[in-house]
Amino acid sequence: MDAEPGLSEQYRMASPWPLFIALGIPIAELGILFGLLPLAVGGLLLFGGSVAGMATESGYARTPWRALVVVAIPLAALGAGFVFTTINLPNRGFAIVAAAVILAAAGVVGSAFNTTNDPTY
Amino acid sequence: MQVNGQLALTVLMGIFLVAVAAWLARIENWRSYTPIGGGGALGQQEGYVSEEKPSGIIRWLTTVDHKDIGLLYGTYGLIAFVVGGLMVTVMRIELIDPGMSFISNQFYNSLLTSHGITMLFLFGTPIIAAFANYLVPLLIGADDMAFPRINAIAFWLLPPAALLIWAGFFPIPDLIPAQTAWTMYTPLSAGVGAGNQANAGVDLMLLGLHLSGVSATMGSINFIATIFTERGDDVSWANLDIFSWTILTQSGLILFAFPLLGSALVMLLFDRNFGTTFFAGEGGAMLWQHLFWFFGHPEVYILVLPPMGIVSYVLPRFSGRRLFGFKFVVYSTLAIGVLSFGVWAHHMFATGMDPRLRASFMAVSLAIAIPSAVKTFNWITTMWNGRVRLTTPMLFCIGFVSNFIIGGVTGVFLASIPVDLILHDTYYVVGHFHYVVMGAIAFAGFAGLYYWYPLYTGRMYQKTLGKAHFWLSMVGTNITFFAMILLGYGGMPRRYATYLPQFASLHQVATIGALILFVGQVIFVWNFVQSWLEGPTVDDGDPWDLRESGLYTAEWDWYDQKLQTAIADGGEEEDSVLTDGGDEEESVRTDGGDVDAADD
Repeated sequence: MDAEPGLSEQYRMASPWPLFIALGIPIAELGILFGLLPLAVGGLLLFGGSVAGMATESGYARTPWRALVVVAIPLAALGAGFVFTTINLPNRGFAIVAAAVILAAAGVVGSAFNTTNDPTY
Repeated sequence: MQVNGQLALTVLMGIFLVAVAAWLARIENWRSYTPIGGGGALGQQEGYVSEEKPSGIIRWLTTVDHKDIGLLYGTYGLIAFVVGGLMVTVMRIELIDPGMSFISNQFYNSLLTSHGITMLFLFGTPIIAAFANYLVPLLIGADDMAFPRINAIAFWLLPPAALLIWAGFFPIPDLIPAQTAWTMYTPLSAGVGAGNQANAGVDLMLLGLHLSGVSATMGSINFIATIFTERGDDVSWANLDIFSWTILTQSGLILFAFPLLGSALVMLLFDRNFGTTFFAGEGGAMLWQHLFWFFGHPEVYILVLPPMGIVSYVLPRFSGRRLFGFKFVVYSTLAIGVLSFGVWAHHMFATGMDPRLRASFMAVSLAIAIPSAVKTFNWITTMWNGRVRLTTPMLFCIGFVSNFIIGGVTGVFLASIPVDLILHDTYYVVGHFHYVVMGAIAFAGFAGLYYWYPLYTGRMYQKTLGKAHFWLSMVGTNITFFAMILLGYGGMPRRYATYLPQFASLHQVATIGALILFVGQVIFVWNFVQSWLEGPTVDDGDPWDLRESGLYTAEWDWYDQKLQTAIADGGEEEDSVLTDGGDEEESVRTDGGDVDAADD
């Protein structure tokens, strides 16, 4: 925001992403806690995708693709922690890693097909 | 079967995600809402930007405007207040007679737990966030919150939190509501032993509570950033208003207290589900109490400081004078904020903790009465010799001071170890803290809701109903909770669904008081909703005549400008569309330039 002084009064007044970020967190938490792995993966995808979308929208990322990969990295680390450390909850860990892999794959595919680096607007 | 279940869940989740993606892709080209796209850098009028919202329900689902989010918080808080109020009405009816079997003991325990959590986390914290979201940016001259999207995330975490906290009450097979009381003491809440608290309903409640904590933390970071960095050129630390000061202090408390609650809840969830033993071994129960109350006592001040700010803000407007000793009210706010982290073990005097530690916690607990009294005396002195106008918000402010004195003084006695050992876990404690949470915090909330009613609705409430609401609340509060204080002196233990016959009369008095409160709140809801829909339009930017006493403030100035813009344009107000009858869209474009042209 600081990069564009004087623009603060021109914040757009609507964004579709916060609602889905807020939905993704409880869905993922429920899935991880109760071992409902589809919910865990789906919730994390919703959360990660929306974070990337919001980062793009607010100008912190130029395209959502690299942001997706950035979101995937800490998720993968968390999942690995669940699998390989004394936490020892492998199924839940693999679910988190799976969500990270899907997010990262989406990011890689997206940037491969996205020929222009300039935003369209 | 198991595989089929997982498969069905996968399919459902997949369909849901695809639907979300399709909706996002379809409904709008969201960039069309971004004025930054092209000529936006030239600086448009606010009226232009505020039109950059979708219409209908989508507007409310996607808004990042602090005023809209404030209204969402307010609606949410009031719904939770109704739910929590109905819960306690049922409980008080059960307590009208020791032999009453209106509800089961288990259901009583469930309501007791949910009433506390609903009122503290789903009503108290959000209703304060409602005022803060709507008003702080207006008061400090900011265009919006520092992080508008984080603001929206913080709100949207709350509806799922409420659903999880109340999940046990829904007709879901094998799911029962938590019966742990809001303090969630282990080992009961760890689900060990022969009880039924290993049920997933408790896990859901803990998750919901965790979510509400995440939400509060996000909100607090946002308020701190906003007040530090987004103040207008003419707003300095020296003339920052008292309400923003209390919100800033409260946000600081949230920042240190709520993450600790989150951690403790995660530890408890791990104990319950994954075989960890944080709270299982020797001292485990004490560990929980220390962690919980290190959060829990600051939580009391998280809930009370902003209402104190509202009273400090509203009370002078109807006293015809500025707040007496403004600086000391700010200092006392900061002092309470600091001291609030040094008193938590006064909830644990009866646990058998080290007596030397007890003494130090007693000292700090007694000390916190000093800044609280500073505020009380300043409010009274503000009214002294003032031109007091007994409007509904003012009545609630005075009610606040009165009830806060009773709630506060009863608290001073509890801070003393020997008295506490007698009164611990009795109705005296219940009466004490209800004087503060209902008699003070909720009263200040009502004062704010009435005072700013014209600001956020554009209409005026019905004054007679407002006064009826006040008097019923004031009388009901004092009957109910004073009876509880007397019950406590008599030795009536708290949390029970029944009692010995000698407590019957006072319990009946308390129930009658609660029913009076109930009638008052029904009037409030009626007044609030009906006036919003049909009340007389407020065309005056100074509905409380503050200008003549020199107490006019920024948020009314904003409202006045909004009215004038609307009238000059022949815009939205029904009564003022007389000249050309132009509709909203047209008029705003006249004001802020053509939307399409500006976007190119």
